[in-house]
Amino acid sequence: MRLCPLRCTHFILPPKPENAVTVAVSTRVLFRTEREQKVFEQNGVEEYLRYQIEHENEPFAPGPAFPFVKALEAVNARLRELYPQSEELFDIVLVTYNHAHVGIRLINTINHHNLFIERFCMTGGSSPIGYLKAWQTNLYLSADADKVREALAEGIAAATMFVTEKLTEVSESQLRVAFDGDAVLFSDESERIFKAHGLDKFFEHERDNEDTLLDHGPLKGFLEALGKLQKKFYAKGQRLNCPIRTYLVTARSAASSGIRALKTLRAWGLEIDEALFLAGAPKGPMLEKIRPHIYFDDQMFHVEGAAEMGTVAAHVPYGIAQKHNQKRNESARK
Amino acid sequence: MSVDSARETLYHRGEADMVATIQNTDVKQEDAHGAVVVAVTSRALFGGDDDDDVSGVGVAFPLLQALQRVNQRLLEKDPAESLLFDVVLITTDSQQQQQSSRIVSSTRHHGLEVSRFCFSSQEDFIESLLTNNVQLFLSTDRNEALQASQQGVLSALLDRQGAPSEQLRVMLCGDAVVRPDAGPAPVSRPAAESFSSRLGEMRRRFGALDSPLSIVLVTSSGDRESCGVALRTLRSRGLGVDEAYCLAGAPRSPILSLLRPHFLLGDGVIGLED
Repeated sequence: MRLCPLRCTHFILPPKPENAVTVAVSTRVLFRTEREQKVFEQNGVEEYLRYQIEHENEPFAPGPAFPFVKALEAVNARLRELYPQSEELFDIVLVTYNHAHVGIRLINTINHHNLFIERFCMTGGSSPIGYLKAWQTNLYLSADADKVREALAEGIAAATMFVTEKLTEVSESQLRVAFDGDAVLFSDESERIFKAHGLDKFFEHERDNEDTLLDHGPLKGFLEALGKLQKKFYAKGQRLNCPIRTYLVTARSAASSGIRALKTLRAWGLEIDEALFLAGAPKGPMLEKIRPHIYFDDQMFHVEGAAEMGTVAAHVPYGIAQKHNQKRNESARK
Repeated sequence: MSVDSARETLYHRGEADMVATIQNTDVKQEDAHGAVVVAVTSRALFGGDDDDDVSGVGVAFPLLQALQRVNQRLLEKDPAESLLFDVVLITTDSQQQQQSSRIVSSTRHHGLEVSRFCFSSQEDFIESLLTNNVQLFLSTDRNEALQASQQGVLSALLDRQGAPSEQLRVMLCGDAVVRPDAGPAPVSRPAAESFSSRLGEMRRRFGALDSPLSIVLVTSSGDRESCGVALRTLRSRGLGVDEAYCLAGAPRSPILSLLRPHFLLGDGVIGLED
C-alpha cells in the first residue's frame, strides 16, 4: 500500500489499472447536473462555467449511477478485508469532457459524498475515449449516447444512463447487476433473425443451433470481470453471502430458446446467479423484485419500462435494435 | 540584414567570444515589458534533414509554429496587443555558429518569426538568457535546462516526440506545483510563478472553446485533494486550467501520448521521458 504524503488522513492509492476492474463514469450520471445543463443549453459555455465556479462549494446531488458506485465500494471493502494485499478491486474513475473549471466543484462533491474516487480525466471538450483505453476501462457509463457508441466501437463495454425521478431502494451491502441476453451478453445474431423473419423462425433457428455457441456481446467482458471477483469470495467460503449477485433477464423462454443461452454461458465458463426467462413478458415487474443497482438492455423500450418501475436501467446502443430505436425517435418527432 | 557583418564588427572589437545578440529587423520587435520572451536553442530547432542551403527542422519547430499562431490570434483580437510571445533563438553550438547566416536564412525559409538571434559560448549562454530577459527557456538538452534553472531561469525540456497539434498545449505537473514544506523552494520558483501569471493573462484573452492555447494539469502520484490544491494554487497565480488529469499512481506514458504537450512545466526541470 502506498501512502500519499499530501493527505492528512492515511489513504490508499487506487490499484494499478491492469489489476483492477475499472469502471469509468461521467459527471452527468454520477451526479445530478440538470440545472447546470440548462444554463449551458440556454446561455452557452462561458455562462455555464461561470455558474459552476460560482457554486463551487455546493456539492451536486447523487445521480443514477451513484447507488451502483456505492455498491462497488461496498464490495471493495469486503475484498480488502479478505485480501488486504490484493489489487483485484473495483477502481472507479471519473471521465468527463467537462472543462477543468468545474474541477474544484467536482472534487468538493466527491469529498462531500465520501466517495473513493482518486482518478479523473477532465478533457475540456476532447473525446475521452483514448483515456478509457489507457486506463483499461472495463465499463463506461455516460449520459451521452454518442460517446457510449464510440466506446462500444472501440470494444469497451458501455451504456447510456438516464435521470429518472422514481428510484426503488437498493441494497447497500450487495451489488446486484442484471443483464439482458441478446445484444448485451450475447451478439445480436438471433435478434436479427427475429426482426427479419418473426418469432417462429427465431424459435426454429435457436432449436437448430442449440449446440452452437452464441457469439459474445459488448457486456460479456464485464460479466466475466464480476465473475472473477465472485470467485474470490467463494474461495474464502463466502458463496452464500457473496456481496456480488448477477442476473440474466431475458425475453427468451426457459424450455426452448433459453437453452442455447445457458449452454453458451456455461461454455464461456461464466456463472450467472439467477437466469430469468420471461418468454416475452414485461421485464419491469421482475426487475422491481430483483432490485438491481443497474440493468443493461439494448432496447429503449425495456429501459424505459424498467425506469417506470423505479429500476436504474442503462441502454446499450448495440446491434439491430438500434435501427428500430431510430425509427421510433423519428416517428415521435413527426 | 547581415548577421556576418555584425559579427565581424564584434570580432574586430575583440568581443567575439562574448555574447552577441542580433536583432532580426524583418520581425517586429516586441514591447520589452509586454512580451513573454521564450528562448529556444538552435539545436532544438534545426535537427532534421538538411537541404543544401537550408537546415531541416527539428523538435522545436511545431512549438514555434504554435507560439506564432497564438500571436496571430491575439493580434486578430487586438492589433495593439503587447502581451505576445517573443521568440529568441540561442546558438551555443560552435559548428552552428560558423553557419550563422544559414541559421537566419533557414529561419526565414521556414516562415518562423524569431526576433533575436543570440550567439554565445556554452559557458556564457545563461548570460544571454538573462540579458534578453528570457522568461522561459526550452531545450532538448537536459543539462542545459538544468543549468539555466539553477540560475533562476524557468526551463523546460521539449517533448522529443514532437506535438502535432496546432493548439499550443502547455502541461503543468501538479506534483511540482504543490510541494511538501520540506526542502528549499527551487531557484526558478519566482520565474515559474511570474510566467504562470502572464500565461494565464494570455489564456484569458480567449474563451473556453476554440482557444489557440490550452493549459493542461497532470498530477501523477497525489490523490484528488492534491489535484484540487494544484488547481487552487494555479488559480491564485492567475492561471486557469483547461484540462485536468489526476493519475493517482497510474502509468503516465499512455496519458502523455494522448495529451501531446509541447512542453511540460514544473517548478524546476522535469523531463517528459520519465
